[in-house]
Amino acid sequence: MTNDHCSLFNYSFMKILTLKKVLLISAFLGLILVLVTILSITMGSVKVEPHRSISILLQSILGLKGAGTETEKTIILSLRVPRVLLAGLVGAGLSVSGAIFQALLRNPLADPYILGVSSGAAVGAIVAILMGLGTLSFGLPLASFIGSLLTILIVFYFGRQEGKIHPNTLLLAGVIVSSSLSALIMFFLSISQREELRTIVFWLMGDFSLSNYQAIRLIFPYLLFAFLLLYAHARQFNLILSGEESALQLGVNVERLKLISYLGASLMTAASVSMCGLIGFVGLIVPHSVRLIFGPDHRLLLPASALVGASFLIASDTLGRTLFSPVELPVGVITAAFGGPFFIYLLRTRKVVKTL
Amino acid sequence: MNTFNFIQAAISHNLKDPHSKALEPDGLSPLLAIATQSSGARGLIFLFVLLTFVLFHVSVSYSASKTFKDEVGREVVVLFPPKKIVSLAPNITEILFSLGLDQEIVGVSIHCNFPEKVQSKVRVGSYISLDFEKIVSLKPDLIIATGAGNTRDMVERLERLGFPTYVIFPKNVEDVIRSVGHLSQLVGREKEGVEIIQEMKRRRERVVERTQGLPRPRVFLQIGEAPVVTVGKNSFADDLIRLAGGDNVAGNEKEMYPRFGMEEILKRSPEVILISSMNPGGNYQKALQEWSRWKTIPAVKNGRIHLIDSDLIDRPSPRIIEGLEEMARLLHPERFKR
Amino acid sequence: MIEVDSIFFRYHQDWVLQDVSFQVRKGEFVGVIGPNGSGKTTLLKILYRLLSPQQGEVFFDRLSLEKMSRGEIAKKIAVVAQETYPAFPFRAIEMVLMGRSPYLGHLMFESPKDLEIAKKAMEWTETLPISQRPIDELSGGERKRVYIARALAQEPEMILLDEPTSNLDIHHQVEFLDLVLSLNREKGLTILMASHDLNLASEYCDRLIFLQNGKIYKMGSPEEVMTRENIEKVYGCEVWVDRNPVSGMPRVSLLRKGVH
Repeated sequence: MTNDHCSLFNYSFMKILTLKKVLLISAFLGLILVLVTILSITMGSVKVEPHRSISILLQSILGLKGAGTETEKTIILSLRVPRVLLAGLVGAGLSVSGAIFQALLRNPLADPYILGVSSGAAVGAIVAILMGLGTLSFGLPLASFIGSLLTILIVFYFGRQEGKIHPNTLLLAGVIVSSSLSALIMFFLSISQREELRTIVFWLMGDFSLSNYQAIRLIFPYLLFAFLLLYAHARQFNLILSGEESALQLGVNVERLKLISYLGASLMTAASVSMCGLIGFVGLIVPHSVRLIFGPDHRLLLPASALVGASFLIASDTLGRTLFSPVELPVGVITAAFGGPFFIYLLRTRKVVKTL
Repeated sequence: MNTFNFIQAAISHNLKDPHSKALEPDGLSPLLAIATQSSGARGLIFLFVLLTFVLFHVSVSYSASKTFKDEVGREVVVLFPPKKIVSLAPNITEILFSLGLDQEIVGVSIHCNFPEKVQSKVRVGSYISLDFEKIVSLKPDLIIATGAGNTRDMVERLERLGFPTYVIFPKNVEDVIRSVGHLSQLVGREKEGVEIIQEMKRRRERVVERTQGLPRPRVFLQIGEAPVVTVGKNSFADDLIRLAGGDNVAGNEKEMYPRFGMEEILKRSPEVILISSMNPGGNYQKALQEWSRWKTIPAVKNGRIHLIDSDLIDRPSPRIIEGLEEMARLLHPERFKR
Repeated sequence: MIEVDSIFFRYHQDWVLQDVSFQVRKGEFVGVIGPNGSGKTTLLKILYRLLSPQQGEVFFDRLSLEKMSRGEIAKKIAVVAQETYPAFPFRAIEMVLMGRSPYLGHLMFESPKDLEIAKKAMEWTETLPISQRPIDELSGGERKRVYIARALAQEPEMILLDEPTSNLDIHHQVEFLDLVLSLNREKGLTILMASHDLNLASEYCDRLIFLQNGKIYKMGSPEEVMTRENIEKVYGCEVWVDRNPVSGMPRVSLLRKGVH
């Protein structure tokens, strides 16, 4: 080939995804995320002048002391910022794992909870609440994380046949385990007392009000690592969508890819859910919306889903806590209320999936 | 202590002999200087000492904190007496108002509805969801929570934000009386607290006396419609029923709010049915109608079905005694004429 | 190029392939024919190591297939098989670029060289005009050509085809196989095609491997293999075999009941 010196420009008629495009679009989405974040930090049930909120934020990042009363600083730095950060992380985590599950299971209906991870986390949390372990500082997140880990292992065990992961078997195992755990959850609800019931139901609806920096420090490196691991295989996710045999003959180690994606996405979901309960819709709508706008190539889909998911969940949480102040709407209600119609709009203007 | 020094120095400075050379603006030297002067100064010394003594105590009690142990065993350090208090539950709000506080109460929960004055208060959230921002902006000296409703996570969060939080956890009438005592100490209204406690005890004794020796009717207290939920061994209402001279048919159930099927109720054959209602004035016909199918129950047959205000029998506040009296009236009408 | 040495394969209890041995020389266009269930597809799957035989070995250029890595195999052998298109449709150009995957390894994005190769592959298969169309909007024939282009992008030495013409009408069947033939003759690609269409196999293949119940019944040129006796013996039905009047290759005709 004599064309090694040609630049990609000559091939721009092909309109394929290049690194430059990924970076540009990511930067654009990143900018939106930053704007949403800043906006959210200025909003809350107590009025703090936006310029003061921003200056408090900047000063704390840059390590300066200065403007803002103690009260304002507490509100901004101890309440709003950790909440927004955690919502962003969870939004990104759920969106990326949703996209991965859709690729792994080759099913557009897949979301992060389809394989029972969320039900396992819920059972773990409920057991902790009923046993009074919710008292320990990390009792609840730890118990729900353990619950989801166990579920991941159980589903994995049943989803394998002859040492290979079969997406449909996995899906079936996941759905059955999920249903069984839901029945268990209902049993627990039926024997719970009033106060426990309230706590459980509220956890199930998803809640960011107890966000703190400890939680963020815990899950951020974890999510980052999982994301990088999954992103390194982004091209291979494209291949596996055509079918495993197809991917195999193109040189992909399909079993390893399935294992990595299953574990990576499940653990991302488990971490997210343990921190804040079940928040639905994000993992399903965001990947689909991103795909509708930017295409199915995972090299762009994964980072774009992360950024859009983060913005979406931050915005939803902010709306939830400011719309009917002082009453807080559960964030899951907002994601459904806004996510649903938006997604339907997308469905009507573009096509999601032509056949299943 | 700098304030103290300054006051002392200022006083000494003003009391000094303008012609004396031994003038130093610090510490005790002015005192010594005066003490060594003529004996006419001794009277001044006495006054001076008295003044500083008084001032010392006043400044100390305005800037010192007190440590309390709350009802779940936590140590709470509060600026005493607290001048800005947030209540996270309706019973706490009632107790605080009954102790004579009003201005000091800067925030209440959305469920708080008594007394009338509470309408104007700022709301800071519900049992399951606190508006932390609001609380932070109110800058309270003290937050009072209940173990039956607010979660431990919430309390820890409040502590981490720097707000001393005192948790009460009364489980029966005697506990409520104790809680009133604890809170009265906490907010510096011990005298009012003692009065309330005495009143509560007096009225309780009255009820117990009047019903002594009377046969205890079997009582079923319904607190939920679908499913039917009643009150078990460790609940308030159970305590009330017993004190009011009744026999709670669910009194042996370990669960605080057990669910009963109709079969179970039929089996236990209550003689009086009390229905806890948010709206004791209305709904009576509806309640009657629903129970009228089960004519084998003595309570239904004899028309002894009554509505009772839930705020009175389920809220651990001083008004629980009213609930007790109301219940006694319903269980033993012959002894408690209106 | 390919040497298959006494392979045995089974999925569960019954042997699907028994003692199959043959060679394929570089540049040959070989057809694998046989009734349903004779093991054609299984054999192909073994050739690109989707499956591994329980006994026996396959050698590619004297190297055992088992010892080669997935990536190495992908650079040498490309497969055009029955496809369901992806759950989330990619465009034709993106599908073709996937063929460059074995050469990209850990790299995420294609280089100009990859794009050039893809472009050439699409020129060969005349799929450049449809390069921007999503794969699920293409007709069967167009789709097949895109898959060939993808296979070409792999720069293989050999292409395996599994029932490539099963969903195509006669025009597209011929168009497709003409393309494959040109790849064989002009680019020197070794072709191995599994087909149940005996006449197509006869027209295009240099050599045929006739399978029956997992064993090679006969191997040789179409004239040698496609005789009436062989076909009736293996397929168990009556046929008429003569010569295609234009090409001279053996031609099989069905015989309806009652017509002799």
